[in-house]
Amino acid sequence: MSSFIPEVLAPAGSLEKLKVAVLYGANAVYVGGQKFGLRTAAENFTLDELRDGVLFAHERNAKVYVVLNSFLHDRDLLELPDFIRFLEEIRVDAVIVSDLGVIESVKKFSNIPIHLSTQASSLNIESAKLWKMMGVSRIVLGREVSIADAGLIKKEAQIEIEMFIHGSMCMAYSGNCVISNFTQGRDSNRGGCAHSCRFEYSIDFKDLDVEKKKAYFMSSKDLEAVRLLPDFIDHKIDSLKIEGRMKSPLYAATMSRVYSEALSYYRSHGNFLSDDLVHWERELRKVSHRAYTQASLVHEAGADSIFNERENSDETEWAIAGTVLEVSPKAGIIIEVRNAFNIGDEIEIIPFKGEIIKLVINEMMDLMKRPVTRTKPTTLVCLPYDSRVLPLNLVRMRARG
Amino acid sequence: MKWVTYAEHLHDLNIIKDLGSSEVILGHKDFSRFGHLNDESFEKMCTRAKELGLRVIFEWDILMTETIFKNCSHQISKFLGMFDVLRVQDPGALQWVIENTKHPVQFIAENGNHNLTGLKRWEEYIGGRLDRLVLSIELTRDSLKHYLSELQAPCEILGLGRVLLFYTPRHLLSPLLSEKVEINSSLAAVGESEESPHKGFPLVENKHGTFMFHMKDFCLLDHHSDLREFGLNTLRLDFRWSDLALLKEVKSLLSKSDESLFKQFKEIYPQDLMRGFYLVNKTDVLFPKLKNSRLQQREGNFLGEVIEVEKGEYLAIQVKNKKGIHLSDELKIIHPKGKEFVVKIYSLKNCASENIEFAPENSLCLIQFVGGVWVKSQVFLND
Repeated sequence: MSSFIPEVLAPAGSLEKLKVAVLYGANAVYVGGQKFGLRTAAENFTLDELRDGVLFAHERNAKVYVVLNSFLHDRDLLELPDFIRFLEEIRVDAVIVSDLGVIESVKKFSNIPIHLSTQASSLNIESAKLWKMMGVSRIVLGREVSIADAGLIKKEAQIEIEMFIHGSMCMAYSGNCVISNFTQGRDSNRGGCAHSCRFEYSIDFKDLDVEKKKAYFMSSKDLEAVRLLPDFIDHKIDSLKIEGRMKSPLYAATMSRVYSEALSYYRSHGNFLSDDLVHWERELRKVSHRAYTQASLVHEAGADSIFNERENSDETEWAIAGTVLEVSPKAGIIIEVRNAFNIGDEIEIIPFKGEIIKLVINEMMDLMKRPVTRTKPTTLVCLPYDSRVLPLNLVRMRARG
Repeated sequence: MKWVTYAEHLHDLNIIKDLGSSEVILGHKDFSRFGHLNDESFEKMCTRAKELGLRVIFEWDILMTETIFKNCSHQISKFLGMFDVLRVQDPGALQWVIENTKHPVQFIAENGNHNLTGLKRWEEYIGGRLDRLVLSIELTRDSLKHYLSELQAPCEILGLGRVLLFYTPRHLLSPLLSEKVEINSSLAAVGESEESPHKGFPLVENKHGTFMFHMKDFCLLDHHSDLREFGLNTLRLDFRWSDLALLKEVKSLLSKSDESLFKQFKEIYPQDLMRGFYLVNKTDVLFPKLKNSRLQQREGNFLGEVIEVEKGEYLAIQVKNKKGIHLSDELKIIHPKGKEFVVKIYSLKNCASENIEFAPENSLCLIQFVGGVWVKSQVFLND
C-alpha cells in the first residue's frame, strides 16, 4: 500500500466556490485576486475575501495558492509589490506565476513559495532544473507531458510536480497562443482569451485535390483521468490539478468530492475496484463537460483527442438544482434555486462525504411558509428538515430535455 | 543595425552573402519548427556558409517533452562543430546548451517576456554566453526603446515575416483527410471562421505539430530609422513563406528613409502587411468590460448580497461579512445596473420568520421589501 497520496487541487473562482471545494474534500484551492490572473471575467476575490478564504481553508487544513500567472507588463509589476506583501501577510501557501519578472518580484518582496504556472510550458527535466534555479519550488507541467515523464522530471530535477487531471484544455502549448491578441484585441495571456480555438473553421487544403472541410479542428476534448490515479501515485506526482475557476459550484463540489474520495479509498485499500472506478466516472459525467480524453497523460494525444463539435453541444444529463444555504429544524432546508424543479421531481443532495441523498419532492414552501409546486431560478425554497444535509451542500437533478 | 534571414537552399546563401549579411539562420527539420534540412543538406549548407564567411545560427526553437528532448540533445552532438551560434526558446534547451556546449546562445524571448525585470534576469542568467535576445513583436515602440536602452545584450526583433498565432504538438489537419499522411511531410491549408472577424489564416502541420499564422505579415520596415536609433542590433527578415528574391528590395528600403519605396514594396509583397502593436498595445483595455464592475465592489462596508426579492414582502440577504446586519442599520443597496437605494432596516427576520435583532455572517435574513431592488444587488452599510 502506497503511503504517498497526491494533493487534490481544486479551482475556486469565488469565495463560495472555495468553501465548497474545501468542504467537499479538496486539499488545496487556487484562486485569483482582482488583477494579475488569467480569468479576467471570473468573479475573483477581493482582498477581504482572500483573507477570509485563507482563514477558512487553513482552519480545515487546506492550502490556498494565488494565481499571478498573467504575463505581466512593466506597469503591472509596479502594482505587484503591495499585493505580494498582502498575500504574505494573510499567509497564502504559494503563488502561481508564469514569467521571470514576476518570480523576481515575488522573491524580492516576500518569502512566499513560487509555483511555475502551466503557462510557462515547462516540459522537460532541463527546463525544470532551470526554473528551480530561478527560485521555483513546484512546476505545473505543460499538459503535453505524460505521467511517466513527469515522474522522471520530479526525480531528476528534485522538484515538486503538479499535473492537470481534469478539465478544459488549451489545444496550443499554454502561453504560446496569441490568436485573441491579434484578432480580437484581447491579450489571451493576460486574461482575455476569446476561445478562438473553439470556433468552427472552414479548411481549404489549397495544394490538395480535396473539398473544403468544416471542422472544430482546434478544439480539444476535456481531460479526465480518474482511472490513471494509480499512475499518478506510482510516479509520486505531488498535486493533481482540476481546471475550471469559471465553472459552477456544482463542478467544484463534484470534482473535489470524486477525486478526494478516490484517493482516500486508495489510501485505505491500496488499490481501486473496477466498480468504484465506474461509479466515480459516472459521477464525473454528471457535470457539464465536453467529451473526455486522457490527452497526453499516457500516450501522445492523437486525433481522438480533438472535440470537433460545437460548443454547448453538451449532452450531460444532470444539472445543478441549487445550493443549500441554511438548515435548521425550524426553517428546514433552504435552497437557493439555480434551475427550476417541481413537486414530484427527484433531486440529489450531495453531502460532503457519504452516500448521495436522493429525494422525491413531496412538499416545499417559500420563506413565508406558503406551499410551492414549481420553483423559479433565483428564488429561495424550503424543504423539510433532514439532519444529513448541511449548508453549502449542492443539489442536482436530471436535466430537462 | 544588422539584418538576418533564413536560408533553405544552397543558392540562398549566395543571395544573403551578396546582399551584405554576415550571418544566416539554418533550420534542421528535427530541431526547427519549420526547418526543412535533413542531416546531409544541413551539413552542405553549413560548409557552404562557412566558405562564404557567414556565421551559422542553428535554430532549435521547438518546444519539447522529455522524449523528444532526449532525442534532440543526443542528436545535436554530431552538428556541434558545424555551426557558430545556437538559438533556443525552450528553457530546457537553454539549460542544456549552457551546460553542454561552449557556443554563444541566442535566446528567443518572444513569448511571455513583456517586462524588463524578466528580460534582465534572463540576461544575467545566460551571462557572457548570451549572443542575442530575441524580443516579442507585441512590444510597443516605447517599450522597445526603453528596453533597448536598458539591456546590455544585443537584441533582435522580427522586421518582416509571418506572425505565429498558435502552436500545438497535436496533428490537427491530417485527421481531416481521408488518406493517411506521412508523419514527416508537411501539410498546408488556409482556415476561415465565420465566428472571427478575420479570414484566411495560413495553417501548417508538420512533424512538430500544427501552426496557425495571421493572415497579414508583420512589417516594421517603415520604422527602421526608429529601430536603428533605439539601438536595435538585428532585424530579422523571414522570407520562408514569401520569396527571398524580395531581400534586394528590403535591403534598399533599409538603406534609406523613403516612404515611396515602402509603398512600392507593399505593392509587390505577396501578403498584406501590418505593424501589430508597435504603435500601441491596448489588448487589456476591454478587460473591465468582461464583467460587471458593480458586482465586484465587495470591499469596505460590504455586507452581503440580495438573493431573493419577494415583491411587497421582503428582500432576502445572504450576509457575507463578519460585521453582520443589525436591526436599524442603514443600508446602501446597489442594483446590478448601478442605481443606489438607501434604506433603514425596520424589519429583520431569520429564515424561520422569527424577528431578530442581528443576522450573523453566513446567515440568511429577511428585511422589508424595497421596490426596484433586484437579485444580485450588493448590500453595504451606509456610512
